[in-house]
Amino acid sequence: MRTTVQLSALLAHPEWAGVTILAADADGTAVRAVQTVADLRADPVVARHSLLAVALSGDRDDWHLDALLRRAAAAGVVAVLLPGTEPLRHASRLLAGRVGITVLGSPDPLTVALAATRLLHEPEQVLAELLTRTAAVCTVAAGGVDEVVAELARAWRRPVWLLDGTGEVVAGTRPPDADEATVLTRPVGAGRSPARLAAAVPAGIPAEVAAVEAALGVAAGTVGHRLAEKRLAVERDARLRMSLLAELMQPAAEPDPGTRRRALDAGWQLEGWHIGIRIDVPASVEPVAIRPEVLRAFDTAQIRALVVEQGTGWGAWTTFAEEPAPAELQRHATAARRAQSLLRSSLPSAMGVGRVQRGVAGLARTLGEAGDAARLAATRSSSGYFVHVDRLGLGQLLLAWTRTDTFLPAARSMLEPLRDQPGNLLRTLTAYLDAESSLTETAAVLGVHRNTVAARMARAQELLGVDLVDPDERLALHLACRSVLFHT
Amino acid sequence: MSGWHHAPVANVLLTTGDVEAFTVGLTLLGSGGGGNPHPFRQSLRRALDAVGGEFELRDPADLGDAPVVATGMLGATSVLTEKLPSGHELRDAVHALARWSGTAAAAIMPLESAGLNGLLAVTTAAELGLPLVDADFMGRALPRVDQFTAAATGASVTPFALVEPGGQAVLIDHSSPRALERIVRSVVAQGSGWAGSALGPYPARSLATGACAGTLAKALLLGRAHAETGPEAFAARLGGRVLAAGRTVEIARIPSATFGRAGIAIVDDGGAVLRIEAENEYLLALLDGVPVASCPDLLCVLDRRTSDPIAVDLLRPGDDVLVVVLPGPPWWRATPERLRHVDPRSFGLDCDAVLLPDVA
Repeated sequence: MRTTVQLSALLAHPEWAGVTILAADADGTAVRAVQTVADLRADPVVARHSLLAVALSGDRDDWHLDALLRRAAAAGVVAVLLPGTEPLRHASRLLAGRVGITVLGSPDPLTVALAATRLLHEPEQVLAELLTRTAAVCTVAAGGVDEVVAELARAWRRPVWLLDGTGEVVAGTRPPDADEATVLTRPVGAGRSPARLAAAVPAGIPAEVAAVEAALGVAAGTVGHRLAEKRLAVERDARLRMSLLAELMQPAAEPDPGTRRRALDAGWQLEGWHIGIRIDVPASVEPVAIRPEVLRAFDTAQIRALVVEQGTGWGAWTTFAEEPAPAELQRHATAARRAQSLLRSSLPSAMGVGRVQRGVAGLARTLGEAGDAARLAATRSSSGYFVHVDRLGLGQLLLAWTRTDTFLPAARSMLEPLRDQPGNLLRTLTAYLDAESSLTETAAVLGVHRNTVAARMARAQELLGVDLVDPDERLALHLACRSVLFHT
Repeated sequence: MSGWHHAPVANVLLTTGDVEAFTVGLTLLGSGGGGNPHPFRQSLRRALDAVGGEFELRDPADLGDAPVVATGMLGATSVLTEKLPSGHELRDAVHALARWSGTAAAAIMPLESAGLNGLLAVTTAAELGLPLVDADFMGRALPRVDQFTAAATGASVTPFALVEPGGQAVLIDHSSPRALERIVRSVVAQGSGWAGSALGPYPARSLATGACAGTLAKALLLGRAHAETGPEAFAARLGGRVLAAGRTVEIARIPSATFGRAGIAIVDDGGAVLRIEAENEYLLALLDGVPVASCPDLLCVLDRRTSDPIAVDLLRPGDDVLVVVLPGPPWWRATPERLRHVDPRSFGLDCDAVLLPDVA
């Protein structure tokens, strides 16, 4: 069988990068042979579907070009490759269209013709050459998967990218216009849904497609290896962090020198003031794998914190060398809230923030407070699943007291009139009281108009028969709301 | 019907009524060059009126050894319409030549029986009161003096007199045709752009074989045929054929070493691409990349609506044209040695002459 390559595919091939179309388009033109002649006066040999390369440049405007086009058409030539990329005379373009010959221009027609010859007639050489280059890349490329994929793209001069099991691009760039039919993929490693290495190679040049297929096989091994290495390193680091933090959290008065040394090696500053942050997620989330997302959220929110996997979530803390000023604490609290809202967009997370504490013992304490706050935050959708201990010191105490068997029924009966009323009056009332009786803030928290809040509040007060101006009634009502909501 | 080269050769009468046909015929013989004779039709009419309304075109063989002087304009004929002639250049050149050679002209012949020069020979002969010999050194329009039939046969092309419109006169003698061409070209280029010239004298008898005889009569015949029938029929009637009919899509004018080169593309109504390579004249035609006609045959581009011949420098993109080829002067076609002087290669076009079949 004679090999055929599509002219359009050749034009898209990297080795044909300098070739431009001077006359007639290349669509649907198939090339089966390549011949080279010296100049415009030469006689092409008869060869159906051949590409005729003219080696020496002649006068573009000369009528010999027209005569050559005519002779070439008679000889079965489908494309003529001229030296230089200057435009043709109109007459020559018209004639090329009439006799059905695509005219191409290249600064170096001989090299280009040679490349076409190899792609047509020497697929083994193309394959061997690409495999050699791929093997070299796999051996030499330093760094992780990203670097390997980038090097492969350079070596193959085609887009190369890596997909994870769910089909998301995790390394390299998939060209936005990549046609599914032109994408070659190769699984990396085994398993039910393994990662896949992919390359976009336009169809039309069988030799290149075969070569890249084979090279993908070679590269997939290396990529798989690098992926495993990376995974191992990540897990090792996580284990080290987790054990170190566990030791620091021991109730012992002072950590031993070995632990201090390890903390120093890990870049943890034990002295100074710490603010602990605890992030809880459902058990289905794998903290080691998702940690980069947490780091990204912190980075975006501009919080500098160390993040350690802890149970079903992460413990994190920010360390200040000097005691932070109130303004700085305020900025930190705002940033933490922002980090939570960023995280929450992709994870069902709850975040608690502890108070500022000093030294190693302080670190354990603030992380403990943060843990409590996070547990509390899990039920508080009105605050975006975010609780800051500094703002809830007294509240916590009172809340603990309200969890008694006598208070809850009383609270329920007190709020009974609000039950089954339109407009979720209980939630509105709670949010209103949480928001220091600010209509605007309540409206923002609930996502409704402030007039709606005002109307609901008026109705709630009417139904309950209470006056919120009275501090006693206010406090009782707030406690009742919190405990009923908390326990339902 | 035979081709025009079998028309009666001499002793044809040119009358005032023939002026239009004569002019068109000369333009066709110009093959796109030769200079436009139209502005001089009135002076031709006046000259003919002055000699009784008719003028005889004489057969060179009838004049024995009478000394005949050839005359005509040289240089850029387009300048002629801007830098008007005094009207005495050709006459003065004939006189200058007589002073140098010591032989007064007994008859006048055109050096080129095409375009402007064919017409000016008639007015000059009438003005000088000398017979006009119907023989010339080109048989059609050709650009260079080294393309004279005299140059091809090895006859002398000197002495050669040049008179510029200001009256400045140059006389050249003992020059080879190539040297003469170089000198004449420099004089004209450095001078006024064009000049009247005269050379000879030649014994009349020698012109019957050493020059193209009967070209003026053929101009008349061509012009009449052109007026009588449509261009397509007329091309066939004169042994020629139509190469293409369609629109001019491209004219690329390129300066070259000799005269400006023009590459013309015409798309035939049927889709074929006709490419014409031209200098002062249309020289070579390629249809879809195949050479189909060339000099010395007469390539003529005619306005499709009026059938008027269009000169190379007046053709414009968008012109709707008819391209015809008519048989060239038989003198040049007679032997390969002669053909060599006027084939495409003599114009720097690397292509053999492609001629119409001989209509012998």
